[in-house]
Amino acid sequence: MFSGFDFDVIQRSFVYLFRDGMVFTLTLTAIAMAGGIVFGTLLAMMRLSGLRLVSAAAGAYVNLMRSLPLVLVIFWFYFLVPWIGGWLMGGGATIKVGAFLSAAITFTMFEAAYYCEIMRAGIQSIPRGQVAAGQALGLNYWQTMGLVVLPQAFRNMVPVLLTQTIILFQDTSLVYVISVTDFLGAASKVANRDGRLVEMYLFAALVYFIVSFTASQYVRTLQARIAVIR
Amino acid sequence: MIELNKVSKWYGSFQVLAECSTQVAKGEVVVVCGPSGSGKSTLIKCVNGLEPFQKGEITVDGISVGDPRTDLPKLRSRVGMVFQHFELFPHMNVLRNLTLAQVKVLGRSEEEARDKGLKLLERVGLSAHKDKFPGNLSGGQQQRVAIARALCMDPIAMLFDEPTSALDPEMINEVLDVMVALAKEGMTMMVVTHEMGFARKVAHRVIFMDAGRIVEDATKDDFFGTPRSERAQLFLSKILHH
Repeated sequence: MFSGFDFDVIQRSFVYLFRDGMVFTLTLTAIAMAGGIVFGTLLAMMRLSGLRLVSAAAGAYVNLMRSLPLVLVIFWFYFLVPWIGGWLMGGGATIKVGAFLSAAITFTMFEAAYYCEIMRAGIQSIPRGQVAAGQALGLNYWQTMGLVVLPQAFRNMVPVLLTQTIILFQDTSLVYVISVTDFLGAASKVANRDGRLVEMYLFAALVYFIVSFTASQYVRTLQARIAVIR
Repeated sequence: MIELNKVSKWYGSFQVLAECSTQVAKGEVVVVCGPSGSGKSTLIKCVNGLEPFQKGEITVDGISVGDPRTDLPKLRSRVGMVFQHFELFPHMNVLRNLTLAQVKVLGRSEEEARDKGLKLLERVGLSAHKDKFPGNLSGGQQQRVAIARALCMDPIAMLFDEPTSALDPEMINEVLDVMVALAKEGMTMMVVTHEMGFARKVAHRVIFMDAGRIVEDATKDDFFGTPRSERAQLFLSKILHH
């Protein structure tokens, strides 16, 4: 059945696929996750703020990001940022933003909207009494958040945050629209060069499946272990 | 020490507190009682600014709670509060619960905070549990830790918001014992509770609330002897039935 195929191509391109492609994919995932969670948490705090202007601004941002296709955002961001940067610098000339930096910023900002909604649910899951207890001890807003609410919210939400990260890991393949070589991009290049489309895309699918499935199994075991005893 | 002057509060158009006035002198123990929904908890939460109020004035040690210029965190750090549902921080062990605010708010060293925490933990009889997490303690133990946590801040007054309402009957006394000892030491206390035994034993005054109003504000003997209001008499007859 497989006689017409040449699976040797995988072995020949293995180093390139993983050292160039997968490293990029994982780096982008890690940066977007870390940045996205930090910004997302700030956004969540803004959304839950009593100041209407602050919560409306955060709400508008989240709703905008969640209403646009990721591909479009990547695309727009890549072509617009040099112009905006140049305009901000006042020079009129476009500034150079590398494809990697552009992708990292785009994914961070896009994912922040999703992490925001997760952290918002996490913060809201903490009983009001915990906030009151923190305040009653004299902790200010930032201390109450940082020492009492967020650690608990974060712990409750770790499984959901990681699940979102698995989705992010798959979504990073969309950087192909700005011609960046991630894992899928590398596989695609080899496939086209050697005319081995079926083999390479089959292999790429298998790798994405193994990584994502293993990670989601890990999340499941983590879920049981990490919950705070109340 | 604590003075309330015509405090009114609304949730939307619903009035929860109507012109409540009273005061708690230094060293005085005042019990606040009344049927559920009468605004007792809301009133006590107004005292340290956990609940905002729209009209009237509350001063604690001469500092106005409602004044927007007041440094509320600082004021709250000087007034201890104990909650119905304990509200220990479940992600920290008992000792950390006791030292956290001492270090972060009062600026004490970790060592100093630890010594103080251990001393107060011993006082509530829970030294052996210092490394446990709140989730592994019984309700009564958690509430005693919560009292110790508040005392760690060397408060000038203590507020108790139904401290025994969420406890199993056999655990109520261990908490009340701690509170009685505290009252006898001369701590200024404002206690929302239905424990009339506690009120009889240590209260100086009893406030009875109904529908957001302070209906009765009397010395303990007057209150248990002959409450003036019919509503208070009815309430007492119901809870002192057995």
